[in-house]
Amino acid sequence: MSDIRVSEAAPTSGAPVGRSATRSDARDKVTGKTAYGGDRAVSQECLHAHVLRAAHPHAIVRRIETGPALADPDVVAVFTGKDVPGTNLHGMIRRDQELLATSRVRYCGDAVALVVARTRQAAERASKLVVVDYEPLPGVFTIAEALAPDAAAIHPEGNILGRQRIRKGDALAAMAEADVVVETEFSTQSVDHAFLDTEAGVAYLEGEVLTIEAAGQWVHEEARLLALALGLPFERVRIIQPPTGGAFGGREDLGIQLYLGLAALLTGQRVELAYSRAESMIARHKRHPIHIRYRFGARRDGTLVAAVVEVQADEGAYASTGKAVLRKAASHATGPYRVPNVHVDVTGVFTNNNPTGAMRGFGASQIAIAYEGAMDKLAAALGMDRVELRRRNLLLPGDAVTTSQILPVVSAQECMSAALERIGWEGRSYETPAPHLKRGYGLSVVCFGLGYGDGFPDASRARVRFTDGDRLEVYTGAVEVGQGLVQMAAQVAAQAVGVTIDRVDVILADTARTPEAGSSSATRQTFFTGSAVRKAGVELRHQLLDIVGTLLPVHPDELDLADDACFERADPTRRVPLSAILQEGRRRGYPLEAEAIFEPRTICQDDAGQSVRAFVTYLFASHAAEVLVDVETGEVQVQRIVAVHDLGKAINPLAAEGQIEGGVVQGIGMALMEEVVRQRGRLLNPNFTDYIVPTAMDVPEIIPVILENPDPIGPFGARGVGEPPLIGTPPAILGAIHDAIGVQIGQTPATAERVWRALQQAPGR
Amino acid sequence: MIGSTPEAAGQAERSWSLSFTVNGERHELAIQPERTLLEVLREDLHLTGTKGACLEGECGSCIVLVDGVPQNSCLILAPQMEGREVVTIEGLADGTVLDPVQRAFVDHGAVQCGFCTPGVVLSTKALLAGNPHPTYDEVRRGLEGNICRCTGYMKVLAAALAAARAGVADDASGQADRPRP
Ligand code: FES
Ligand code: FES
Repeated sequence: MSDIRVSEAAPTSGAPVGRSATRSDARDKVTGKTAYGGDRAVSQECLHAHVLRAAHPHAIVRRIETGPALADPDVVAVFTGKDVPGTNLHGMIRRDQELLATSRVRYCGDAVALVVARTRQAAERASKLVVVDYEPLPGVFTIAEALAPDAAAIHPEGNILGRQRIRKGDALAAMAEADVVVETEFSTQSVDHAFLDTEAGVAYLEGEVLTIEAAGQWVHEEARLLALALGLPFERVRIIQPPTGGAFGGREDLGIQLYLGLAALLTGQRVELAYSRAESMIARHKRHPIHIRYRFGARRDGTLVAAVVEVQADEGAYASTGKAVLRKAASHATGPYRVPNVHVDVTGVFTNNNPTGAMRGFGASQIAIAYEGAMDKLAAALGMDRVELRRRNLLLPGDAVTTSQILPVVSAQECMSAALERIGWEGRSYETPAPHLKRGYGLSVVCFGLGYGDGFPDASRARVRFTDGDRLEVYTGAVEVGQGLVQMAAQVAAQAVGVTIDRVDVILADTARTPEAGSSSATRQTFFTGSAVRKAGVELRHQLLDIVGTLLPVHPDELDLADDACFERADPTRRVPLSAILQEGRRRGYPLEAEAIFEPRTICQDDAGQSVRAFVTYLFASHAAEVLVDVETGEVQVQRIVAVHDLGKAINPLAAEGQIEGGVVQGIGMALMEEVVRQRGRLLNPNFTDYIVPTAMDVPEIIPVILENPDPIGPFGARGVGEPPLIGTPPAILGAIHDAIGVQIGQTPATAERVWRALQQAPGR
Repeated sequence: MIGSTPEAAGQAERSWSLSFTVNGERHELAIQPERTLLEVLREDLHLTGTKGACLEGECGSCIVLVDGVPQNSCLILAPQMEGREVVTIEGLADGTVLDPVQRAFVDHGAVQCGFCTPGVVLSTKALLAGNPHPTYDEVRRGLEGNICRCTGYMKVLAAALAAARAGVADDASGQADRPRP
């Protein structure tokens, strides 16, 4: 494999938008200067907190005795739910989880006590001295157990979190009349976000204001939820996002912020808290494991006539963002395919496992495995080429997605064609170096709605201003978690205003200093915050042009601004430098700042799952994968992945490629190796020794391909990158395994053992 | 903060004296013998560029160079460092001039969240010191001990190969540190 081509992407020059500029935060990151949440406590006098987690996955908490822990001379305080001054409840969509459990624990990550001590060691040691009197309850650990008539009820209303459905046309009748019907079943696993930077931070009081420096994904919402839980007015809470080592949805639920806030509020002192890898994995929500039964009905010529899809999802112990995940799974159930009759039922079921919620892909990643798996089966049943079948059914411009929305840009066909071409599909070879190795190729196409959608209020705000030193500052409440938002905002601002990128400073995610911009999730920040920054920037640009109008006898329409100067379009040598414009602007009392909000509306799906505008816009992507399967061991080696993404516009192509490649590798992890293993609710592998994430040795050649069919609304035509690179990967790999060995693997991850077993059970082997 | 508590004062009696060099500077410390090099670097010397992400030798976030060899500092007991020379990420750049490996990581988009970066940069540094012209596969193998959850490794591998081409041997000249475009 030494002949692998490594893309030699390098910084480019030219206009700010579309330029592969190096990240402004990279220099501090390569020199070790960047101070993440866990670096903020070092070298400062502070107290140390430790959270005691539940000893049982399901139990009544009868009594908590803190006396023995308090007897430790180094212990400052031990808090239980009774000490929490507010509602003691949290949850992103419904507040159903106690910050500190007062009467019941529902999974092993539930917190029961918070110890604050003078040293970290003392806090940890003393937490073992807290005596909790539990009355263990029968636990429910699988969907089947949760739905059994005599199952223990995890929440008062029972074990069903919610149902989501789609009823379009008459799918059951159409299915009965279809020439060919295929059915396939998939089960997906529990996946951990496994960001490297485990939860850590500090909290302290600034006068009356409780300030928390810990990473989340939506600082303003975290402040609101935290204020409710702790009984504080919103104004008394400040959340500052430190530089953050990855999130991937894993920081969407509130967690460490609550314990930091409680400890600092009640002790009045600066407190530090950091989770170990094990605590991080035991406490945090996971990707929904789901079971999917998928049926396609088609005419003899391959035209899809119906899809009937049943999904059951393990919601774990609390709602988290589960309902939204269920909705996304339903609304994306037929992916990029045109299906006139659709019947989808998604049911979310509580268990005593980790809560399940946001993770890159958000329900769409699981369902994509099923619709592509069903397509491959349908092709086989029809005796039709997989590509031809897809081509016949992929959405075309003017078509509506399953939820009825007609999209302005539909590039499914174009994405697939590009993927086929780049992997060399036509001339693909099945040759292998040895007979026990089988080669296979797989294909996936993704259609993904970005933003929260479904009528949920979704807005970003940004403020831009020139400082007295002529620097351009961008303020926005969005968080940078590694994805590159900081550079995106700088490039969009530079382009919108007409300055050089290096003049821009981006100030992010501090509830006291930056306007609210929603979460860094749902592939939304380039589209939403990028748009807000662009709008504010354009307004500021108009101020500058106006000022120049007072200096030059030229109509503003005949002027342009770029690279820190204003010039006449007709004669670019006639120019006014930015410094002179700003000086004149100050003299004339121009504000030299602007603020904007970007708030496109969506409409909630109706009872049948229909909405003419469920999402603000959709992304299209297509992946092609090439694998080698060892039929003696079941081991799968991914050889190549082509990932084609229609980004509308790549604000920073280098960064966009990095996002695509990172998503692809997380997709490889989901497809082949990652799985949180629990036994009756207890994690067996809360560590990197046994929870295996891909390393450099697992990565194939990845070929990112960026298409740019501009979005009519997005900033400079951009949509975003985020989730689709992950979503497209597992179905392409599973399809390639199917192609290689002739057996479809119905369970992820497709570990060597599972592939080997599937081969043993395959008929005719 | 640890020293101000009765417990730590008690443990100080069991403390070892450790003398070692970090980033060219000599340090004499009194430490508890069961502490790891990672803890001592971060908590005593405030060199927080070295990260801990698993504390069991699986991720490489905590890698430092010990006498030029990349080691997981989370697995090393600090007393073992007696007389040794340690280089952390803070010690790599020459003043404001980045090391060619650091430069290549910045230029090639190999840094996203950056949490893995100190460890990966130091692994790359050691790899290139031992093998100035590695193949793609040699780089992959050399960085196998470093988990990166963000980049998908492609840009990291590209940066490492670019750094090799830039010539780690002449890093003293600082030629590789071009200004940002
Ligand atoms: S922290 Fe040392 S290897 Fe992970
Ligand atoms: S850049 Fe985030 S872990 Fe490597």
